[in-house]
Amino acid sequence: MEIIANYGDVLLVLAILFGLFMAWGVGANDVANAMGTSVGSGAITIKQAIMIAVVFEFAGAVLAGGEVTATIRKGILDASLFTHDPHLLVYGMLASLLAAGVWLMIASNLGWPVSTTHSIVGAIVGFGAVGVGVDAVAWGKVGKIAMSWVVSPILAGSIAFVLFRSLQNLIIDTDKPFDNAKKYVPFYMFLVGFVISLVTIFKGLKHVGLSFDTSTSYSLAIAFGLLVAIIGTIMIRRIHLDPEENKEFHFTSMERVFGVLMIITAAAMAFAHGSNDVANAIGPLAAIYGVIESGGIIGSKSSLPVGILLVGGGGIVLGLVTYGHKVIATIGTGITQLTPSRGFAATLAAAATVVIASGTGLPVSTTQVLVGAVLGVGIARGMAALDTRVINKIFLSWLITLPAGALMSILFFFAFKGVFGA
Amino acid sequence: MAKSNIYGLFGKSPISPLQQHMTHVHSCIGELSSFMIAIHAQDWEEAGRIKSIIGTKEGEADILKKKLRLSLPSTFMMPFSRRDLLDLLLIQDSIANVTKDVSGLMLNRKMTLPDAIFEDVIELTEVCIKTSAMALKAINELDELLETAFSTRERKVVNTIIEKVNQLESESDKIQHEIRAKLFPLEVELPPVDVMFYYRAIEWLGELADAAQKVGSRLEVLLAK
Repeated sequence: MEIIANYGDVLLVLAILFGLFMAWGVGANDVANAMGTSVGSGAITIKQAIMIAVVFEFAGAVLAGGEVTATIRKGILDASLFTHDPHLLVYGMLASLLAAGVWLMIASNLGWPVSTTHSIVGAIVGFGAVGVGVDAVAWGKVGKIAMSWVVSPILAGSIAFVLFRSLQNLIIDTDKPFDNAKKYVPFYMFLVGFVISLVTIFKGLKHVGLSFDTSTSYSLAIAFGLLVAIIGTIMIRRIHLDPEENKEFHFTSMERVFGVLMIITAAAMAFAHGSNDVANAIGPLAAIYGVIESGGIIGSKSSLPVGILLVGGGGIVLGLVTYGHKVIATIGTGITQLTPSRGFAATLAAAATVVIASGTGLPVSTTQVLVGAVLGVGIARGMAALDTRVINKIFLSWLITLPAGALMSILFFFAFKGVFGA
Repeated sequence: MAKSNIYGLFGKSPISPLQQHMTHVHSCIGELSSFMIAIHAQDWEEAGRIKSIIGTKEGEADILKKKLRLSLPSTFMMPFSRRDLLDLLLIQDSIANVTKDVSGLMLNRKMTLPDAIFEDVIELTEVCIKTSAMALKAINELDELLETAFSTRERKVVNTIIEKVNQLESESDKIQHEIRAKLFPLEVELPPVDVMFYYRAIEWLGELADAAQKVGSRLEVLLAK
């Protein structure tokens, strides 16, 4: 207890710094993956992508990031074991943040695609199991999280497959694809708005102190979906069929309609990403804050202060504007095979999956979910060539990242113990 | 920068390289009609010039073929089987190869065609070129096929084109048959070795239309997956 009293401020400042560093890393590297399919489809420019990302990553983090933050903060470890040594939880969470941040730096420099989610979960499990004791880890919850890493890409792939098939039947494979696109795309826009807002209202908003009953929630989600559809319809109205541009390729005008849809889907994706990945940075921070604020009492029912969500959102935006825009440009210009119709199906499927995961409090890897979604479109014969080596790489990154994050956080944990005293 | 999984997921589409290859192949076989005229006029210099153009174009098609093959790792997930695509590529390439062979044979032997069959040989050549043009048209539909995710509607469009390829090929068969029928009574008057090679040249010309037809049927298999 006296450690918290003596070093509380120092530890909190460290936690904020490490948390910012992680959030910065998410903004600098991860966001580009989330936005890559939108930029690559040519529907939005890099500038627009960054603007969308700044606004909606932040909104997602603050409005819908609470549930995953809670999981990282107190779901992975059994907090009751820390009642007598609350400072150990502080050390461990600090160590986890630092370990995940450093590991991401190393991996990025080596050119390995790794996930922030896996790094932080590995780190927390690592220090918990080794630094404190195997019982400290809530293995049931960890098992669920691990399952979600397998299930989420598959779910996204299935949704993308169905979405794309519906596009094919309703719009692409018809006499008048352009007219049908104009007719049906507003419905898809409604779907985007409805799904995202429904999950957010049900699961996210309670963390910012808002709660509604079920019928109000549905009404609000429907209203929001309609609003999105109306805005989209106004934007679509401006698109006119240009027979000239369809001479070489019959579907150019139709794809422009999907381009509008893609702007909305990109926003949804940024929101989803913010809602899930920001927790990697601020979950541990929230845990540390909780301990220090209460003077060492674990498990106090303090809700997540909005200030911490702001640190996460702000860190992501900072990462985006300092470095992430370059990565978005690189990835966006590298993905040229994706037309807006494909980009839409894949991105919406991924966004919906990630938002559902966020609502359930499961930290998933947005990039891997997106990979699953694109593969789903590929299975529907919608993509010219997808390199399935990525699947091996994903398995490999699970195998490497989890132990690496764990090992480093164990090291840092004992280092903190040495510096601040056991 | 971290190599992103998303970035690594997207392979280079084989469709436009395949179309490019077929375009090259078609422009190669397209040289044959002026080549035949030069041969008949016994303008060996002009025939030699065209022959070397054919050779160059065949070589370029070969390079495109090799490039495409190398850019298709077996880990690629495509909307058609990799095997079918590589087979299609080989068949396309054989059109250019046979064009080169037939022009080489005719030039080296300074083959002057008997007047009785000349008109028909020109016609046969034209039909072969048309068959290849129609096959190229079918291959160029692959963009639309992909965009519609190989929908039934677009497949019907392609099947109609392939039907035309088949019709042209049977037309070429008929002409081939007629030429042989005309050549047979002339056999006694002509040097036997020449006659042998007339038959050979006509057979090879026929193979051109055959190959173009095979492009069509292989494309059909590729779509069916």
